[in-house]
Amino acid sequence: MQDFPPRVATFFTGTDDAPSPDPDTRSPLAFLRWILRQQTALLAVSSLCYALWFLPMTLGPWIFGRAVDQGIVGGSTTALLGWAALLLGVVVVGGVFGVVSHTLVVRSWLVGLYGTLEMVTRKAAQMGHVLPRRSPTGEVLSVASSDSDEFGALTEVLARTIGQLASYLTVAFIVLTMSWQLGLLTLVAAPLILGVALPLLRPLHRRQEVERSRTSDLTSLATDIVAGLRILRGIGGEQTFGANYDRQSQSAKRAGVAAGIWQAVVEAVGVLLSGLFLVALVWLGAREVESGELSVGELITFLGYGLFMVGPIRTFFEFAQKGVRSLVSARKAVAIFEQRAPWRDPSEPVALDGTASLVDSASGLTVRPGILTVVVSAVPEQSAALADRLGRYLPADTDPVPAEDDEDARGRAARRARTERARERARIAALDEERATREWGVTIGGVDLASASLAEVRRTVLVSDTGSQLFAGTLQDAIDPHGRLDREQAEHALRVANAEDVYDALPEGWQGQLDERGRGLSGGQRQRVVLARAVAADAPVLVLVEPTSAVDAHTEARIAERVAETRRGRTTLVTTVSPLWLHHADRVVLLRDGTVVAEGRHADLLTGNDDYRHVVARALDDEEAVR
Amino acid sequence: MTDLLASSAQTWRDRSADPPVIPDELRPPAHAGARERNRALWQRHDLRRQRAEDVYAASRNPVRGWPVSGNRAVLAFFGDLVRRSRGTFVLLIALNALAAASALVVPRLLGALVNRVEAQGAVVEGLDGLALAVVGVVVLQALFTFGAQRTSTYFGQDLLASAREYIVGTILRLPVGRVEGASTGDLVTRVTRDVGTMARSVQWGVPRLLISLSTVVLSVVAMLLNSLVLAVPALLVFSLCTPAVRTYLRRAPRAYITEGATYSRINTTLTETVEGARTVEALGLSGSRVRAGEDDIEVSAQAERYSMTLRNVLFAALNGAFQVPQVVTLVVGAYGYSRGWVDLGQITAAMLYVVALGEPLDAVIGEVDRLQVGAASTSRLLGIAEVPPDREAGDRLPAGVELVGEDLRFAYREGHDVLHGVDLRLRTGERLAVVGPSGSGKSTLGRLLSGINRPRTGTARVGGVDLVDLPLEVLRTEVALVTQEHHVFIGTIRDNVVLAREDSTDDAVRQALAAVGALAWVERLPDGIGTTIGSGRQALTPAQAQQVALARLIIADPHTLVLDEATSLIDPRTARTLEGSMNSLLAGRTVVAIAHRLHTAHDADRIAVVIDGRIVELDSHDELIALDGEYAGLWRAWTS
Ligand SMILES: Nc1ncnc2c1ncn2[C@@H]1O[C@H](COP(=O)(O)OP(=O)(O)OP(=O)(O)O)[C@@H](O)[C@H]1O
Ligand SMILES: [Mg+2]
Repeated sequence: MQDFPPRVATFFTGTDDAPSPDPDTRSPLAFLRWILRQQTALLAVSSLCYALWFLPMTLGPWIFGRAVDQGIVGGSTTALLGWAALLLGVVVVGGVFGVVSHTLVVRSWLVGLYGTLEMVTRKAAQMGHVLPRRSPTGEVLSVASSDSDEFGALTEVLARTIGQLASYLTVAFIVLTMSWQLGLLTLVAAPLILGVALPLLRPLHRRQEVERSRTSDLTSLATDIVAGLRILRGIGGEQTFGANYDRQSQSAKRAGVAAGIWQAVVEAVGVLLSGLFLVALVWLGAREVESGELSVGELITFLGYGLFMVGPIRTFFEFAQKGVRSLVSARKAVAIFEQRAPWRDPSEPVALDGTASLVDSASGLTVRPGILTVVVSAVPEQSAALADRLGRYLPADTDPVPAEDDEDARGRAARRARTERARERARIAALDEERATREWGVTIGGVDLASASLAEVRRTVLVSDTGSQLFAGTLQDAIDPHGRLDREQAEHALRVANAEDVYDALPEGWQGQLDERGRGLSGGQRQRVVLARAVAADAPVLVLVEPTSAVDAHTEARIAERVAETRRGRTTLVTTVSPLWLHHADRVVLLRDGTVVAEGRHADLLTGNDDYRHVVARALDDEEAVR
Repeated sequence: MTDLLASSAQTWRDRSADPPVIPDELRPPAHAGARERNRALWQRHDLRRQRAEDVYAASRNPVRGWPVSGNRAVLAFFGDLVRRSRGTFVLLIALNALAAASALVVPRLLGALVNRVEAQGAVVEGLDGLALAVVGVVVLQALFTFGAQRTSTYFGQDLLASAREYIVGTILRLPVGRVEGASTGDLVTRVTRDVGTMARSVQWGVPRLLISLSTVVLSVVAMLLNSLVLAVPALLVFSLCTPAVRTYLRRAPRAYITEGATYSRINTTLTETVEGARTVEALGLSGSRVRAGEDDIEVSAQAERYSMTLRNVLFAALNGAFQVPQVVTLVVGAYGYSRGWVDLGQITAAMLYVVALGEPLDAVIGEVDRLQVGAASTSRLLGIAEVPPDREAGDRLPAGVELVGEDLRFAYREGHDVLHGVDLRLRTGERLAVVGPSGSGKSTLGRLLSGINRPRTGTARVGGVDLVDLPLEVLRTEVALVTQEHHVFIGTIRDNVVLAREDSTDDAVRQALAAVGALAWVERLPDGIGTTIGSGRQALTPAQAQQVALARLIIADPHTLVLDEATSLIDPRTARTLEGSMNSLLAGRTVVAIAHRLHTAHDADRIAVVIDGRIVELDSHDELIALDGEYAGLWRAWTS
C-alpha cells in the first residue's frame, strides 16, 4: 500500500533506474483517473475503514433497544452486561477505525499532494530550458502550490464517498427488504438528487476556473513584487505595484465571491433535495401505515434510516463539487505535464569527441580544439545566440502560453480561446521538435550535435550564459554542485575565477550560506562564483558568455590569464569585446550580423581590420569622447 | 596577497559523510515485533516533537529569513478582527445558527409525525398538513444554508483579499536588507497558502465552532435537567479527555508552524529549480535538484506525521471520552432503574442526548483543529509584519540639493563593515564616476547615497536632512538609484517605466524610451508601450531590460542619480553613446555612475576610487592619471 512521501519516478529520466509510466494527460478527466489509479490499494482500504467507521453508528440504537428490553425491563443482569459489553465493543471498533481512517486519509491526501509536487519538479528537470519557452513560470509553480492540494482533497473525499456509498447501499438494502416501494425510493433518491443538481455544477466549474486563474495571476504578481523589491526601493513604484496587486486581488476576490455564491447555491440545493427526500420517505411510510402495509415500528425504523441517509447524500454532493474543483486543477496540471521534451535521441547515438574542432555552419565559425578562442561582436545578442547554438539550446524566441487566460470570455468564446491557446502551444512544440530533430548545424569532429544524445552534448559542451543562476546553499555546493571535486580542485576553481574574496567574506568558509540567486554577494562576486562553477565543471568544451562584464579591469585581467592558463589544451570559447581577454586569446573571431567576417590573432586584427579596431579599441582620445 | 583560503581545509566538508536529511531513528524499524514497533512509534513521535520545537524556536528569531510571531500577537489579531467586523460576524453566526437549528427541527417534526401515526393508529388526521410544514422548514433550512454560505463567502473573500493586500503592503515597506536575505519562496508561500488558510479558518471555523460548542452545551444542560444521576457519571467520563486536549492545544501550534515552514521550503526549492531551469540543464543538475525536492518532501512528511499523530491521539481520547458514556449511561441507568431512581423515559432520553453529542463534538474537534492550522498560518503572516521598519519618515524637507555623505560605515553582517568611514560631498551638477575592485563596496556606497539603507554610523544627507528620514515620495524626487540587478516587472512597458511618476503621459514615456535608444524596438512589439512584459510574458534581452531601467530614471527625473553598472550589459559602444546622450538630457543633474567600463570614468568630472570600503583617490581623470596611483593603474590595465 502506498505511503507518503510517494516514490515518483516519472518524466525525469536522468538517474532513474526504474522510471514509472507518465501520467495520462489526454484529458483532465483522464489525468484525475490516473492520479486515483496510482493509489488504488490505499483508496480501497481507506474506503473500507470509512465504511467500518460509519456502519457501527447504525448499530448503537439497535443494541440499546435490546438492552432495555432484555436487561432493564426484563431485569436480567447478564443480558444487560452482555449488551453493554457489545456496545463498548462497537464504540471501540468505531473509534479504532476512526483513527485508522484518519491516518489513511492523511496518507492518500499526501500521496496525491507530494506526488504532484514531485512531478512538477521532475517535469521541470526533464524539460530544462524548453519549459519556460512554452509555459509561464508562475503557472508551473501554481500547479505545485495550489493544484496539488486539490488532488489530495479529491482522494480524501473519494474514499469517504465510497465508504458512505457502502453504508448507503446497506441501508437501502435493509429498507428494500421491508418495503419494496420505499426501498426503491431510497435507491433512486441519491442518483436522482445528484442528477438534478448536476446542471448547477457547470456554472460553478466555470466560475471556479476564473477564480483559479486570477489567483494564479495574483501569485505571479506577488512573486514578481518580492523579486523586484530592491528595484522598487531604488526608484519608487511601490504604489503602482501595490495598487496593481490590490486591483488584481480585488478581481480575484470578485471571482471568488462569484464562485462561492454558486457553491452556496449548490449546497442549498443539496440541503433542499435531501430534506425533501426525507419528508417524502416518511410521508409515504405514513401512507403505507394507513393502508396497513407497514407497522408503526417499521416506520420509526424508516425515520432513523432516512436521517442516516442524509449524510451519504450530502457526501455525494461534496464529492461532485470537489470533483469539479479538481477538474479545474487537472486542466492546469495537464497543460504542464502533457508537454514533451522536443529532443529525440538518435537510434544510434554517436559519441562526441570533445577534443575535435567545433563548426557552426550558420555563422561559418570553426572553433579549433585545445585553444582559447574569443568571439567579438558589436552586438552582444548575436554572440549569445552563437553560444546557444554551440550548446544546442533553442533560442528564446517564443512567448509562453498560459493554460487559462481571457477569463471574461464565456461559453463558445472561452472554448475558442482555449483551442486557440492549445493550438499556439502545439505550434511552439512542433517548432521546437522540428528544430530539435533535424540536423542542428553544429558539428564537433564532423559529427552533427543532433547525432549524439543530448546528455552527451551537455557533457561535452558547457555553455555558461549571462542568465546563469546561483542556487541557495553553501559555497561548497555552489562551486561543486555534484560533489565530485576534492578540496584542491575547488580551491583552484575559486582562484581561477579570482573569487577568493567570496570565500573570505563568509565566516563559515566553504560552509557559508549563499542566498537564493546569490543575493548577498556583490554583482561581480556573483559573476565570479558562476565562473568558478563553470571552470570547476571541467567540460571538454567550455563556452563563456560575457564572463567578466561585472568586474574591474585588474580582476578581469587576472581571470583572463588564469582561465587561459588552466584551460590550456582544452577547447574554450569566450564572447567578449574586452582587450584583456583578447590578449590571452589564441585566436580571435569577429562576428558581424551573426556571421564570421574576420579571424586571426588580436594584434594582427587590431592593425589589419578597421571594423575590429572599432569594436574593441578603448583608446578614448578619439572623436567619440563625449562632452 | 595573503592566502585568503587559509582555513579551507577546516571548512571543506566531505559530503559523502553527510547525514541523511531524515535521521534513521525517524524511519520505522524494518523487522520488529509489535511491541518493539509500538515503542519505536512513540520514540519517533518524541523526536519529531523535538524537531518541531527546534523549528519553532529558530523561527521566532531567525538568523536569516522571516520570523513567526508569538501567540499573543495572533490572539490580538483575531480579537481585533472580530471587533472590527462585529456586524458581519453576528450575521454570520446568526445565519449559521438558524441553518443548524432548522436542521435540528426537521427530524423533530418528522418524529412528531411518526408519533401522531402511532397515537392515532390507521387513520391519521392532518398528516399532509404536517408533512407540508416539514417541507416548509426544509425550504427554510435551504435558504438559511444559502444565506450562511453566501455571507461566509463575502466575509471570507473580503478577509482574504484585505489580508493579502495588507501583507503585500507590508512587504513593500520592509527594509530591503531583510528582503534580500530571506527566501522569496517563503514570502510567497505566506502571501498565498497562509493567507488562504487563515481566511478559511476564520470564515468557516469560527462560526461552526461556536455553533457546535453551543449545541454541545445545550445538550449537556438538557442531560442535567433530564436526570442528574445519569448525567454526572457521563460528564465525569467526558472530563477524562481534558489532559489529552491540553496536550494537543499546547503542541499543535508548533506542529503546524513547522508544517508551514516545510511547505515554504518546498516552494523555495521548486521556484529555484523552475526559474533556473536553464542553469540546471546546462550543469546537469537535474538529478540533484530532483533529489533536493525529494529531501524537502521527506522533511515535510515528518512534520505531517507529527501533526497526524497529535490529531490521532486527540481523536482517540475524545472518541473514548464521548462514546464510552453511552455504555456508562446504560449501566448506570439499569442500576438506577432497579433502585427506582430513574424511569425508562429518562434513560432513553439520556442515551439519545449522549449519542446526539457525537456529531457536534466531531465538528468541535474538526474546527478546533482547523483553527489551530489557521492560527499557525496567522503567526507566520504576522511574523512578516513584525520586522521593524528601518526608516521612520520625519517631517523635515531638504533645503537645497547638495548631497553629502560623512563618515559612512555600513555592515550587512554584524561586525563586518564593508564601508569604513567614507566622506563624499557631491558637487551639484557634476558627473562622479565610482570605480574600484569588485566587492570593494561601490554598490553599498550607492545604496547609502540614495537613502536605501541607513548607514551604521555617519550620515548621508541631502540639503541637510538625512536621506533615510525623508518620506519615500520626497526621497524619489531627490535621488534615484538604478540597481546593478535588473528586473522586469509583470506589466506593460508603460507600467515598467513610469514607476516613479505614475501620472506620466504616454508621450513622456515614449520620449524617455527614445532617450535611452529603446523606442525603436518597443514600437516593433505587438502593442508598443502597452505590451505586457515580465516573467512568463514577452521576454526582453538583458540589454533591453537595462534600457527600460534607464528610462525609468528619466521619468523619475530626480536631481541626483545613482547609476550602478546601469549600462554594463549594453554593448560598450552603444553604451557610451547612450551615456553621452543621457548626459546631455540630464544636464544640471548630479550623476553618480558606478562603472567598471572606464570610458564612463574618463567622461566624468571626477572619479572616486573605492578600495576595501574606502575612497582612496578622488579627482578628475587627468589629475589621477598624473598622480599615477590606483586609478592610473586601473586605466592602464583597462586600456592595455
Ligand atoms: N546583501 C548583502 N548581504 C551581505 N553582504 C553583502 C550584500 N551585498 C554586498 N555584500 C558584501 O559587501 C561587500 C561589498 O559589496 P558591494 O556590492 O558594495 O561591492 P561592489 O563594489 O559593488 O562590487 P561589484 O563591483 O562586484 O558590484 C562584498 O564583500 C559583498 O560580499
Ligand atoms: Mg556592485
